[in-house]
Amino acid sequence: MIKKWDITLIIIFLCLSLLPEAIFILSGATNAAKTIAVIQVDGKEYKTIPLSEHTGTDKFTIYTNHGYNTVTVRDQSIAITDADCPDQICVNEGFISKPGATTVCLPHKVMIEIRAFDSSEPDIIPAR
Amino acid sequence: MHKTFRLIILGLFVAQSLVLYIIEGMIPVPFIAPGAKLGLANLITVIALYSLPRKRDVCLILFLRIMISTAFAGGINAFLYSAAGASFSLGCMVLLKKTGKFSLIGVSAAGGIFHNLGQVIIASLIVENIKIMLYLPILSIAGVGTGILIGITALFTLQHLTNLPLYQRLRKI
Repeated sequence: MIKKWDITLIIIFLCLSLLPEAIFILSGATNAAKTIAVIQVDGKEYKTIPLSEHTGTDKFTIYTNHGYNTVTVRDQSIAITDADCPDQICVNEGFISKPGATTVCLPHKVMIEIRAFDSSEPDIIPAR
Repeated sequence: MHKTFRLIILGLFVAQSLVLYIIEGMIPVPFIAPGAKLGLANLITVIALYSLPRKRDVCLILFLRIMISTAFAGGINAFLYSAAGASFSLGCMVLLKKTGKFSLIGVSAAGGIFHNLGQVIIASLIVENIKIMLYLPILSIAGVGTGILIGITALFTLQHLTNLPLYQRLRKI
């Protein structure tokens, strides 16, 4: 029923389908996925952290007129891990790492946004 | 008489693939990757490819199926994806069948891969992002899986179909 040629053919096609992957890796297109975390306090830029090169765990605290927010940067992700705001929404948000993701502490007007370093990259729409 | 016979046979094939297309829409499939699905309607394409003598008729069946299924469900995007996938997969299957080295199952599996290849190419053209190509390995594996299943089903169907007296007339249209 199934012939030796069939199996060869299928294996060849499966290997060929890895070709785009290989091309992307070889051409270094993965570097385009550089991310930075932009922290804004009261609409003004407070700090920018290059996320994609970050390793290990860093912790620092932002003091605003309304209270404090402790920001933890762990490898390529960032989160507000402690705050004295009443709703704790920013703490519950957890670690974010993808471009476009945000963590906002509304009472303290603190916002962390992940941006792709290469801003020309459009969002991928799932193809149906 | 021959003309009417051909008309009826082609109509039957189109109707059957449409029914399979609609049934497929009702079957819940686990989400593997965007665009991965069973491709039951392809079963009729494979059977038609192996039972009809003229490739033109197979193309006609496929084209009509896509046109009508677009009218049933989906808009212009669905049409573009289906048309690209179908033309890639049919082209590949016709060529592979011509070499005569591959069995029906291998041809069908390759058709499954090329169907997804066509869709991925069209998808990257539509969203203008070549990175969709990175889905290709997953989609190819899914395509091989469904292609082999379709191939086995088509093989069994053809075994029974060849026993029908009608089949001999089918070979002549």
